[in-house]
Amino acid sequence: MRKIKLKFTAIALMAIVITLLSQESLAYYSTFGRATNVVTSGNISFEIHERTDQGTEFPEEGVYIMPGDIVSKQVSIENICTHPFYIRVKILYGVNSEVLTSEDCFALNINREDWTEHDGWFYYNGIVNPGETTPLVFSEVEIVGEKVDNSYLGKTLTLTVSADAVQSENNPASAPWEASGWPKEEEGM
Amino acid sequence: MKRFLTLFATLHLICATAMTTFAADGNVTYSGDAGEFIFAPGSDYSPTDLFPNFKDVMPGDSITQKITVRNDASNKVKVKIYMRSLGAHEDGESPDFLSQMNLRVEKSEDNTMAYMFDAAANETAQLTDWVCLGTLYSGGEVNLNVILDVPEEMDNNYAHKEGYLDWEFMIEEFPIERDDPKTGDDADMTLWVAMTVAAALVIVIWFIWRKKGQKKEEQNI
Repeated sequence: MRKIKLKFTAIALMAIVITLLSQESLAYYSTFGRATNVVTSGNISFEIHERTDQGTEFPEEGVYIMPGDIVSKQVSIENICTHPFYIRVKILYGVNSEVLTSEDCFALNINREDWTEHDGWFYYNGIVNPGETTPLVFSEVEIVGEKVDNSYLGKTLTLTVSADAVQSENNPASAPWEASGWPKEEEGM
Repeated sequence: MKRFLTLFATLHLICATAMTTFAADGNVTYSGDAGEFIFAPGSDYSPTDLFPNFKDVMPGDSITQKITVRNDASNKVKVKIYMRSLGAHEDGESPDFLSQMNLRVEKSEDNTMAYMFDAAANETAQLTDWVCLGTLYSGGEVNLNVILDVPEEMDNNYAHKEGYLDWEFMIEEFPIERDDPKTGDDADMTLWVAMTVAAALVIVIWFIWRKKGQKKEEQNI
């Protein structure tokens, strides 16, 4: 009888010890973790398309012209970033001569329905959303016969389209030229 | 035709709603089993990035990033969770770029305008030293709102930049005490198994003792 009682006590003690050990495994403990967080800024970017009425790219080397010619040159701007923007273009004329001027040598059929002239720039009346392309700025260039006479023979006349864009997000404006952030003339050109 | 238009309008509305709810949250989870923090969602820039919403930011933006800090440790312990900022990485463009912007951090539960952090994003400011986010039981969580303000004046010099900012988290585990509120499923399996085994042993011993007692009585008779 006494032996059984001892066994009973031993087993009971073991059960208590097991129970206590399961609680004892909880000790104070600390650990660390590091998160490297990243902020990135966006930008706006666009591509100027110059195509012909045949759907081909306008040749980079240019085309031979004669007084009175009408050359197909379709100019538009594509938004190739993830942000919408306002856009403006400027058309610059040049000639490789010190005595001649390119002034009035070209007549462009500007699309004045979608583009508004302001301070020497043509502003697109709307906002260009990501992936969108503007309506044509112009599609034809006429070589003005009265101006381009024999003195221009062998000369190179240039017509350059330059563009600026500024974000339209967080930048409300009653007119595109009223938007904030347009580069100053010296910076933009 | 009218039905098509209605359907189109409905679809458009659903898409628009979905777009707004796609803003991702950051998650900091303390996994007691692994004894480590798990950071999500990460990004192409950093696997532990908690700022998925702060990508491709533009001048004038004011963007909120929700971050949930959660204790997934077992219910035997409660944890105190702390955080601190180590500021911008010192190399590269991070310090100058991040100094252009302001960062605010608040615990969304507090619903007060007192921010835990309100300074230029490159600084450590009020989070230079450890700040306790709270004591969390198993399954408990703390929600942080992180607001990034990008000034309108930030110019083209800061377009297409990356800024790296380190935050550190620390936990201290404490055993659950009797007075602690009970949370979640508090069944302690080890304890129950031990008690069951002990009870079974007691019954077996009692049964043997009783049988031996009966035999002795029979012998006496």
